[in-house]
Amino acid sequence: MHIIFQQLLNGLSLGGVYALEAVGFGLIFNVLKFSNFSHSAIVAISAYFGFFISRYLFPNFAVTLLMTAIFGGLIGVVIEKLIFRPIRLKNAPLTLFLVNSITAAMLVQQVFAATLGSDYYTYPEFMKETAWRLGAFTVSKTYVIMLTISALVLLFLSYIIRKTKIGIAIRAASSDIRTPSLMGVNVDFIVSVAFFLAGILGGITGYLLGMTYSVDPFIGSMILKGIIAAIIGGIGSLGGGVIAGLLLGATESLLISQIGASLTPIVVYSSIIILLLIRPEGISGKRFIVKA
Amino acid sequence: MFYLKVLEITSLYTILVLGVYLLTGLTGLFSLGQGGFVSIGAYTAAIAYLKFHVPFPLALVMAILMGMIVGLFIGIPTLRLRRDYFLLVTFGFGEMVRASLLYLAQLTGGAMGLAGIPKLVGLPLILVSIIVITFILYNLKNSRFGRNCIAIRDDELAAASMGINVYAHKIKVFLLSAAITSYGGALYAFVIMFIEPNLFNWLESAKLIIITFVGGMNSLSGVLVTSMVYYSFGEFFRFVDVWRDVLLALVVILVTIFRPGGLFGSWEIFSGNLLKKRKEEAL
Repeated sequence: MHIIFQQLLNGLSLGGVYALEAVGFGLIFNVLKFSNFSHSAIVAISAYFGFFISRYLFPNFAVTLLMTAIFGGLIGVVIEKLIFRPIRLKNAPLTLFLVNSITAAMLVQQVFAATLGSDYYTYPEFMKETAWRLGAFTVSKTYVIMLTISALVLLFLSYIIRKTKIGIAIRAASSDIRTPSLMGVNVDFIVSVAFFLAGILGGITGYLLGMTYSVDPFIGSMILKGIIAAIIGGIGSLGGGVIAGLLLGATESLLISQIGASLTPIVVYSSIIILLLIRPEGISGKRFIVKA
Repeated sequence: MFYLKVLEITSLYTILVLGVYLLTGLTGLFSLGQGGFVSIGAYTAAIAYLKFHVPFPLALVMAILMGMIVGLFIGIPTLRLRRDYFLLVTFGFGEMVRASLLYLAQLTGGAMGLAGIPKLVGLPLILVSIIVITFILYNLKNSRFGRNCIAIRDDELAAASMGINVYAHKIKVFLLSAAITSYGGALYAFVIMFIEPNLFNWLESAKLIIITFVGGMNSLSGVLVTSMVYYSFGEFFRFVDVWRDVLLALVVILVTIFRPGGLFGSWEIFSGNLLKKRKEEAL
């Protein structure tokens, strides 16, 4: 029983990271309606950035996390300006966005593989004690911090999306990207802001993943879990993505403890296919239809 | 000898690119799980041949059938939905195949891979396969079915309202593509003589798509040329292998921005382009 509870807690904190990924992915999907694989590029770049500044510049957790988050946001904007804006201004079909986002993911992974690929890097230990004892449970500090940070970031994002003017503009652009420009909204700016926010989430994801595991060129492909969470939650629903991310993390670590690490991915992926057969709109029940 | 080897490998990859051309170039479906089909084809054929002593031609057929059956399982739930679901699920599918191969270690050899496959496939068979597949695809592209597919690619809603059964077309295309890809995988096993679960990750699948786009969605010949150039370049310059992909990525981004139709536009070798142009000018 204790073990199961422990696994659940660990799973939830990984689930928090999946939720960050799912929301970062869903944010861009909402606004531009394509699957943004370049999110994995942001995650990878931020993971390396976080490693280098925390190892060589400031060995302080909070400062480096903040810097990585902002850096991730900037990378998001750079990617948007360099590879998505030119084709967006030409009204290119969605397929080209997709190709470019996959290309960006590949580009970043291969650049890292070519330059830093021979080594793997581990973040410095930020804390002297790595675990707390709570009665019978041993709680890993890293996991608690991960869960807390994910929760705080998601709450903050939810505030921005719901309450601020820019959040309202993002939501308006989500339901229709053309009309808001008639209402005096600067759509180019809104798209950049969406990429900045998604980039912040990507940056934090990269930092947390790098801190938990080690950094290698393939760290970006971990967004696969976030993408799965996004599907389970219903693509385009941010709240659904958060719930699904937590659920996925918890289920995954329970499955690993019960049936083993090699069978778990098979079970998870096959259940996605079954889910799509039964309830394609996911948890949230929001369904995307192709519009003319 | 070395050149023959290069030609062999390049042609093998070109078969895979052809499978993607049908799926992505013609119908607009993106699959990041083509690597899964390569593995399924390679493992089915190799296991059938090595462990169950199935004759080689039959093993190839089994690989194709296996690929199509699995394709059906993936296709039925996802192809009815928005295209993004198909893309995302195939991304997971590639990982699922890898995990399954590792899990079924008794049959597949697990992470150690499957060695000792005899070299039964030579250049002639590969080249004949390419010619046959290209012929099929070329005719398909110019048939009613192919034109329907292009209509679906360009605008699904409009295609459906013209009476095209979008779902059925997508399933057929996906199954055919799965068949071609698993066939390529089966040949791969008998050329390289060693297979392992990490044979083909999502990146390799992504490269197939990217090559299709560089070549041009409307140009089968262009895709063939691009694929041949890209993969043979990689064999000649092994030492810069990783930078080759960086170069490819930069080329793609430039192509999508400045020449969205692909490098070759809608150029085909055999379609008598010159003739057509003259006719158009005359009109």
